Amino acid sequence: MFKFLRRFLKEEVDGMSRLREQFGHFRRLLTGNNQALEIMADMEEKLSGEFLFDTGYLETQTQRLLDNVREVVTELDLMIEGGRHPELASAYERLAEEIRAELAALPSIPETPYILPLSALNRELAPAVGSKMANLGEIGNRIGLPVPQGFAITAMAYKRFLEEAQLSGELEAMLSRASIHDLESLEAISLEIQELILRAPLPPDLEEALAQAVQGLPSPWLAVRSSAVGEDSEFSFAGQFATLLNVAAAGLPEHYKRIIASKFTSRAIFYWKYQHFSASELPMAVGVLAMVPARASGVMFSQDPQAPEADRVLITSVWGLGPYAVDGAISPDLYVVSRKEGHPIKERRVTEKPAALVCLPEGGVAAEALPPKQGSSPSLTDLQARTLAESALILENHFGGPQDIEWALGEAGNLVILQSRPLRVSTPRFAAALRERPAEPAIPPLLSFGVRAVGGAAAGRVHLFLHDGEVADIPPGAVVVARQPSARLVLAMDRIAAIITEVGSPTDHMTIVAREFRIPTLVDVGSATRVLRPGQIVTVDADAARVYPGIVTELLGRQPETPEDLRTSPVFQKLGRILKMTNPLNLLEPESPDFLAGNCRTLHDLTRFCHEKAMDAMFNPDVERVLDSSRVSRLVSDLPLNLFILDLGGGLKVSGQAQVREDDIVSRPFRALLRGFHHPNVSWSGQVAQDMKGFISVFANTMYDMNKGERGLGGKSFAIITDSYLNFNSRLGYHFGMVDAYISEERNDNYISFQFKGGAAAVDRRERRARLLKRILDDLGFKAQAKGDLVQGRLVKYSLLETEETLELAGLLIAFCRQLDLALSSDTVLERCLQAFQKEDYSLSFLRPEEAAN
Amino acid sequence: MPERILVVDDEPNMLRLLKTILMDKTGYEVTTTNNPLEVSKILQGDRYHVVISDLKMPLVDGMDLIEIIRKIDQTLPIIIITAYGTIETAEEAVQKGAYDFITKPFRKETILITIRRALEWRRMQEELQALKNQRSAGTEQ
Repeated sequence: MFKFLRRFLKEEVDGMSRLREQFGHFRRLLTGNNQALEIMADMEEKLSGEFLFDTGYLETQTQRLLDNVREVVTELDLMIEGGRHPELASAYERLAEEIRAELAALPSIPETPYILPLSALNRELAPAVGSKMANLGEIGNRIGLPVPQGFAITAMAYKRFLEEAQLSGELEAMLSRASIHDLESLEAISLEIQELILRAPLPPDLEEALAQAVQGLPSPWLAVRSSAVGEDSEFSFAGQFATLLNVAAAGLPEHYKRIIASKFTSRAIFYWKYQHFSASELPMAVGVLAMVPARASGVMFSQDPQAPEADRVLITSVWGLGPYAVDGAISPDLYVVSRKEGHPIKERRVTEKPAALVCLPEGGVAAEALPPKQGSSPSLTDLQARTLAESALILENHFGGPQDIEWALGEAGNLVILQSRPLRVSTPRFAAALRERPAEPAIPPLLSFGVRAVGGAAAGRVHLFLHDGEVADIPPGAVVVARQPSARLVLAMDRIAAIITEVGSPTDHMTIVAREFRIPTLVDVGSATRVLRPGQIVTVDADAARVYPGIVTELLGRQPETPEDLRTSPVFQKLGRILKMTNPLNLLEPESPDFLAGNCRTLHDLTRFCHEKAMDAMFNPDVERVLDSSRVSRLVSDLPLNLFILDLGGGLKVSGQAQVREDDIVSRPFRALLRGFHHPNVSWSGQVAQDMKGFISVFANTMYDMNKGERGLGGKSFAIITDSYLNFNSRLGYHFGMVDAYISEERNDNYISFQFKGGAAAVDRRERRARLLKRILDDLGFKAQAKGDLVQGRLVKYSLLETEETLELAGLLIAFCRQLDLALSSDTVLERCLQAFQKEDYSLSFLRPEEAAN
Repeated sequence: MPERILVVDDEPNMLRLLKTILMDKTGYEVTTTNNPLEVSKILQGDRYHVVISDLKMPLVDGMDLIEIIRKIDQTLPIIIITAYGTIETAEEAVQKGAYDFITKPFRKETILITIRRALEWRRMQEELQALKNQRSAGTEQ
C-alpha cells in the first residue's frame, strides 16, 4: 500500500514537474513568438515612408527576428518528444539563408552573356542591362509598342572590359581624388580617365561578340546609347552620358568605349558624386539600336510635372532627330493633349524651327537648314499628337507612374518609342500653392514671357553663360542666363539660384536635372541675354514666367516640391524585399491538410505553425491526463465556461482544490479578464441571428464542425496562471480565443497578446468578424492584423493599470464578439457594430429588435 | 539668405534620404558629404547654420568631428544621429558640445523640429553675443 502511494505520489510529482518543464518551453516559445511579431510589425511600420532608417537598422532588426524565430522553433522541438517536425529546422535555415543573402547583397553584376538581344529583354533584367534597355525591351515585348531593333551590351561585358584592361583599381584611385568642390581638378581627372578608357583594348571575346551581334541588325547604321545600371531610375542622369547617332556598325568597339568613357566626363562624375553614388554602383551597360532616320522626334511627359493633377500630356517635337528637342538647341513645338478619351488637343505652340538634325549618308549627323515654310509649320499633325498621347498613357499605366518618353516618327510617319523612364512630378500641394500665389508685384517686370520649366522663385545676380567651358566661373547664388540649355550646367547646379534660357523646353535634359536640384528655371525666354545685364540683381518668378529687377521678397520662399517618395530609395526597397520573406502569413487553417512545416514560406508562417503546434502539445490528451490528476481546479461560476485553472504559483488563494470560485482567484490579469466577461451589458445568451441565411449557415456549420468541436479539447477552456501572468485558451462554442498577458510594475515587461478565430457561421461572416475585431483592437491600442477569420493583436509596454484596463476590455471583447457570427451579414452591419462598441452599447440591442421592443 | 545645413554621414542612402526630406519640406540649402575629412574645408568655405552628423563613421567619427567643428565655430549647432543602442555615447556627445541627438530610426518630423530648435538657439546665441559686444563698446566709451 505504502509502495503504491509512494509510486502514485511520485508519478504525480513527476507529472507536475514535466508539466512545469513543458510550460517553461511553452512560455519561452510564446515570448519568442511575441517578440518576433513585434519586430515584424515594427519593420512593416518603417515601410510607410514616415521614418528614416539605415542599413544598420535593417541588420539589427533582421538578426533579432531570426534569433527569436530560432528560439520559437527550438522550444517547439523541446516540447515535442522525438522532434515530430524535423522539416521545421530546415525550413528555418532555408529562410534565414535567403534573408541574410538579401541583407548582405551589394549591387552585383549578374552573370549574363555579353550581348542580350532587345527581343529578350524586360524590366526584370535592369540589373544586367540598365533600366533604359530593360524598359525598351519591356515596351517592345510586353506592351507591344514599336521599338527599334537592337541589343544590349551587358554590364557583364563592362566588368570584363575593366578587368581585362586592369582599370578598376586605377579608376577607384583617381575618382577618390576627385572632389565636386574643385571643378578644375575634377576636369583634369575626368580627361585622364576618359583617355585611359579610350586607349584600353577590348577583350577579344567581347570584340568577337560585338561583331557577331551587329550582323543581325537590319541597318549598317546604329544609335549607341548609355544604359547604366541605376540610370533612369530614382535619378535620371538625364544628358549626363553619351549618345552616338548614325554611326557605322563596323566601328562599334570604338563607339562602345566612347560611351563607357562618357560615364567619366566631369559633369557625369559631378552628378553621380553629388547624389552619393560610387563608381561601382553604376556599371555601364550600352544599348545598340538600328538607327531610325526620323522625320520628326521629341519627348513627351505623360503628366505635367508641375501640375500632375491637371489633364495634360506634354509633347515636344522637332523636325529630324531628337537631340534638338532634348538639348535645347532650338525651341521645339509644344502640344498639350488631354489625357481623357479621344485626347483632344488643348494647346499648340508651333515655333520657328530653323534647322533639323539629320542623318548623313556617309555616317554621322549634321544640322540641315530648313526651308522657312517647313520651319514654321507644325512638326506633328493632330492625329500624330493624339496617337503619341495614347501611347504615353499606355506606358504610364504599365510602368505604374508618370513617364518621360523619347519618341520618333520614321520616314513613313510610323511611331517608334526610343526610351521611357520615370518622370518626377510635383506634389498636388505645390499645385495648390500655385493657386494661392501672392499678388502681382507692383514693379514692372524686365521679362514677361517664357515657359516655366521648373517652378518656384529665386533671386540673385545675373551671370551670362555663353560658353560651356565657363561653368567654373559661375559664382554661388547666380541667376544663370544662357542662350540655350546646357547639360554642362549640372556642374554648377549645387550653387546657382535660377536658370533662364532663350530657347529650350520643359522636357530637355538640363531641365530634368534642374528639377532634381529644385532650381527655378525659365526657358524659351527669347531675348534674355540682351535684356538682362551681367551683375544685375533680379528675381525670377518661374511660375508666372516673369523676371523682376531687384529682390522681390514676397515672391521668394516658394520652393518647387517633388514628392519625397522615400520608398524608391534602395534601403526601402531592400526592406520591402526582406519583409516579403518574413511577414506574409500563408498558413491560416490549422485543420487544413496544408498546415505543414514544409509549407512555411515566411518567418511568420514558422511562428504561426510553431505556436499552433505548441498549443496542441501543451493541451494534448497526455497533458490532459496530467491536468486531470494533478492540482487543476475547475472554476465554478455563472459564466458559461467549462474552465480549468492551473496555478503555477500565486494565482489562487489556495492551490490544489478541485473547485474554486472567482473570489479565490488572486491572479491580477485573470481577474481583469473575468471582469470583462462579467460586464453587465454583455449577453451570454446565445447567438444573434439577423437573418435566416445566417441561421442556416450556423446550423450547417454546426453539423460539419461537430467533430472539430470534439477535437482533443472536448470544449474545455484552460487558464494557466500566476499572480501576474495569464495564458487563457477558450473554446466558446466554435470560437477559439487566446489571451496571453503579463502585468507588472515594470512597463517594459507588460504585454497582452490576443488571438481570436473560428466561429459557426459561413466564412464571409467569420472574416467580417475578424475585420471588426481588428478595428476594435486598433482603437484599443493594439497592433493588430486580420487574415481570413483569424485576428491577432499585440499590446506592449503600457503601464500596469493601463494593461489591466485593456485586459478587462479584451475579456469584454471576447464575450461581445462571440455573439456576432450570425449578425455580420454586411459591412454596413459591421460599421454599426463597431459604432456600438465605441459607444459602449455592448448589448447590441439594435440587432435584437424583439428584445428592444420588450 | 536661406539657412544652410551640412549633413555628414558615411552611408549614401541616409544622405540621400535626409537631403530629400530637407529640400522637400524646407527652404534650407543642404550640402551633404560622406567624407568627414572634407568638413573642415566645407565649413571654412561657406557659412553654415547647422551640422547634422552620424555618430559612428570610419576615419573620423562624430565625436572627433565635434572637436574639429568647435575649433572653427564655437556656436554652430551640431545634431548627432545615433543608433538606438548607443544612447550613452550620444549623451556623451552632447556633453562634448553637440546641441542634441536623435536616435535612428526617426520620424521625418523629428529631424525637422530639432533643426528648427537648433536654428532658434543659434539666433539667440548670436543676439546675445551682439548685446554683449554692444555693452562692451558702451563700457569702453
